[in-house]
Amino acid sequence: MSRRRFFVYWVGFAVIVALLAVAPLVLPEFWRRFLTEILIWGLLAMSSDILIGYTGMVSFGHSAFFGLGMYGAAAALLGSSPPNLWLALLYGLASAAAVAAFVAYFSTRLRDIYFAITTLIFSQIFYVVIFTSTAWTGGENGLNFSRPRFAIPYLFSLRFTPAVLHWFVLAIVALSYLLLRRITHSPFGMVLQSIRENEARTRAIGYAVERYKIVAVMLSGVFAGLAGVLYALQNQFAAPDFVFFVVSGEVVIYNVVGGIGTLVGPVVGAAFFLLLREAFSRFFTEFYLIPLGVIFIAIVIFMPRGLLGFARRWLNG
Amino acid sequence: MAVDAPRAASPGEAAPGHAAEPLLRTRGLTIRFGGLTALNNVDFSVAREEIRAVIGPNGAGKSTFFNCLTGVLRPTSGAILFGGADITGLPPDKISQRGIARSYQITNILPNATTLENVRIAAQSRRHSWSLLSHYRAYRDIIEKSEAALDSVGLLPKAYELAANLSHGEQRTLEIAIALATEPLLLCLDEPTAGMSAAETQQTMMLVRSIAKHLTILIVEHDMQVVMELAQRVTVFHYGAVLAEGSPAEIQQNKSVMDVYLKA
Ligand SMILES: Nc1ncnc2c1ncn2[C@@H]1O[C@H](COP(=O)(O)OP(=O)(O)O)[C@@H](O)[C@H]1O
Ligand SMILES: [Mg+2]
Repeated sequence: MSRRRFFVYWVGFAVIVALLAVAPLVLPEFWRRFLTEILIWGLLAMSSDILIGYTGMVSFGHSAFFGLGMYGAAAALLGSSPPNLWLALLYGLASAAAVAAFVAYFSTRLRDIYFAITTLIFSQIFYVVIFTSTAWTGGENGLNFSRPRFAIPYLFSLRFTPAVLHWFVLAIVALSYLLLRRITHSPFGMVLQSIRENEARTRAIGYAVERYKIVAVMLSGVFAGLAGVLYALQNQFAAPDFVFFVVSGEVVIYNVVGGIGTLVGPVVGAAFFLLLREAFSRFFTEFYLIPLGVIFIAIVIFMPRGLLGFARRWLNG
Repeated sequence: MAVDAPRAASPGEAAPGHAAEPLLRTRGLTIRFGGLTALNNVDFSVAREEIRAVIGPNGAGKSTFFNCLTGVLRPTSGAILFGGADITGLPPDKISQRGIARSYQITNILPNATTLENVRIAAQSRRHSWSLLSHYRAYRDIIEKSEAALDSVGLLPKAYELAANLSHGEQRTLEIAIALATEPLLLCLDEPTAGMSAAETQQTMMLVRSIAKHLTILIVEHDMQVVMELAQRVTVFHYGAVLAEGSPAEIQQNKSVMDVYLKA
């Protein structure tokens, strides 16, 4: 990156984070909450971009990782008293990682649509398991729990007010973005992109492609699980609906709408999609999916690189 | 794996791993695609630091032979020994790590990456490839190695161009640079001059000769003039079997080889 672009990039990043940080002080409660959720869905979409955009593997099973993060956090919050934030993170990430390792091991042997279908099937299996294990998961009703405090022993202990929660989510999403961005520029990240470009060639120059794919799925799954933990903290419940494949489909849509292989694009896609859905469901009531679908198709046809790719080309003249 | 033991035991031979030990050897290599026997009981060996030409009419099985050597295809029967070790059935990445590299008859690169990145990713396969938290540009050693590989094939001025935008001849040359960046012991070039102009072919031949100093090379090439100039020995494939093998002069005189080429 040239000096100038480097500068523009970091100023842009700082301005956007600053605006997002100020938002809860000026927005009414409904929109504050809406913005926090956009960040969480954005993180989920970003995690899936590691596979879709960087490795060339379309996952239709991200709801499983998201859901396991959510239920892992729920288990920790219900099992500890007082509920402990760090334990929730630990349980959530560990459950998501375990499930991701399991899914990765089996699904990465398959390619293209077969990979996508395998991830879909696995996520539906987890959905059924969660739905039917009523004693552990509350089944259909899900689990309700209270929020932990945001505390580091001997240092501070804060109540998770809506604003504090928003800042916490913003900090985690921003740090996750920086970390994922670094990973996509690492030697490992370059191998993933080489696999996307030409898998057979990548193998021929000495890479054990399956191992890289397994790590990519696990990495993606852990960040999806992190989004699940944040969602649990925000809403204080875990429900099987979030493990259902429709959630995975929406994540793929956020990626396509925003622009794959950019990390930021999927967040933009999530924001765009959720805002439109909110607006359309007010105007068109239960028919909101019709205009939403039309816009989605228009984007796919006229902006094949997604909103971000389109904006970038437009800005560059 | 009893690596070199049997060879070392034979009289009049030097220690194991000596140059007299062939770098690559196949025994009874056979592969069938349904009813078609694409390779039929091929016994082949090539000495260290030799340039060997592999010739034969279209469909003779030359590319299939390379595909077996590099693990893309698994032979139906027979064995492949490399440096004395059995590598039959290993996947392509393991074979690459052991030191066999190849270029492809049909250009096979990363079209949407730069020329440098095509070579850099190959160089990186030996070192640092599991690093997740450093920027790839932080590994100067890899970049310098890649630039050296590009320089040696004359592509350094095009380092930052997209590989897709290179000319056909340049892409063919990039194939060789990618293979070189993995620091192989054996380089298999499958028709590296396919589709090249006469001038480009000449340049490529000079390139092959210059990189051959510490390398063993198998090269599939149709231009007999080029083969005669370049190779120490020539192996002729026909219908998946070795029809003849010898010095370029011997092959040119060989009756059955002449028959095959006159028929074709
Ligand atoms: N993967 C494959 N499946 C079926 N047949 C194949 C395959 N690869 C090669 N062949 C057949 O094997 C024969 C040898 O092909 P090839 O090795 O490409 O010849 P050459 O490189 O000498 O021109 C041809 O008849 C070809 O059609
Ligand atoms: Mg061929």
